[in-house]
Amino acid sequence: MSAQVPAPTPVPAPAHSRRWRLWPVLAVVGVVALVAGLLSFGLGRDPTAIKSPLVGKPAPAFSLRTLDGRSAVNLADLRGQVVIVNFWASWCTECRVEHDALAAAWQRYRDAGVVLVGVDFQDTRADALAYMDQAAMTWPAVEDPGSRTALAYGVYGIPETFFIGPDGQIAAKDVGPVSFARIAARVDRLLPRGAG
Amino acid sequence: MRRPLPWLLLGLVTAGAIGLIALRGPARPQSTADRVHDIASTLRCPVCRDLSVADSPAPLAQQMRDTIAKDLAAGRTPDQIRAEFVASYGESVLLSPPRKGIGLVAWVVPALLLAAGLAIALTIVRRWRAGVSVAGPPADGPRPAVRAADRKLLERELARLDEEEPL
Repeated sequence: MSAQVPAPTPVPAPAHSRRWRLWPVLAVVGVVALVAGLLSFGLGRDPTAIKSPLVGKPAPAFSLRTLDGRSAVNLADLRGQVVIVNFWASWCTECRVEHDALAAAWQRYRDAGVVLVGVDFQDTRADALAYMDQAAMTWPAVEDPGSRTALAYGVYGIPETFFIGPDGQIAAKDVGPVSFARIAARVDRLLPRGAG
Repeated sequence: MRRPLPWLLLGLVTAGAIGLIALRGPARPQSTADRVHDIASTLRCPVCRDLSVADSPAPLAQQMRDTIAKDLAAGRTPDQIRAEFVASYGESVLLSPPRKGIGLVAWVVPALLLAAGLAIALTIVRRWRAGVSVAGPPADGPRPAVRAADRKLLERELARLDEEEPL
């Protein structure tokens, strides 16, 4: 039987076998590159810098009572003016950080057709009024029952400040404490020329 | 493994069944609380980390649930309510990516990876089965050279063993 067996000859590897070994490697390299690319893109971004979909859109309407209960602020009545809507609370330490900047901006722009409205967020009226008294907050502050206005403005965490132009559209949004320079830059761009 | 058709059919039937269940989803809840929970569970709590509005104990999540309940009472559909939250918070408020635009990638890529995995598994099994059949009973016709060489080697070694250790 062994006589019939042909002499052993080296068998060359088929040409396609090398390609077979190459494509899984290429696939793995491709997937790794894709994941690394996505990670470097995602991790490179500041997760707190959430772009509001409301910028460039009409500001959600609101009509809210002031915390002292004496009057109300209706956004529709402020059409034609620059409106700064600042979400704050008495328990919010970052809001204390930006308080002086807001106070300076209110002082500087209140006679130039700019309205600053503080919307109290997740707070009690007593605490909010005590904070206003202690911090000498002179701009109108309103309460937001059920956080309906905060939800309409897509508030994540306070302080958040929205800048509404005379056309009633949201021009910009700032998350975290704002500086006077930031407010001034935003407001100056929105005010009609010659004002302010 | 000469006929991949049964395997292909099995794969298609399995994928079809999974797809059907995924598309049909769970039974539609009836009570208002259930309907609120149904919508809230598709929304991300904005002030939490990876919690749905349904699961979050945060006051803002509670207020979102109240808003959903009021909107449902006002006759708004779940899609309209979700669209309102998306208008305020952006699409990141949705726990599942939208099935359009860039969000489609999250739906399509796993399916493609599954298909690729199945194809790779099928190929490996096929090649493995092809390898096994060579070692099986010899078919008629010329034998492969490598196998012949192995057989010769085996016979020689067996003969040597017989010589060394006669039973």
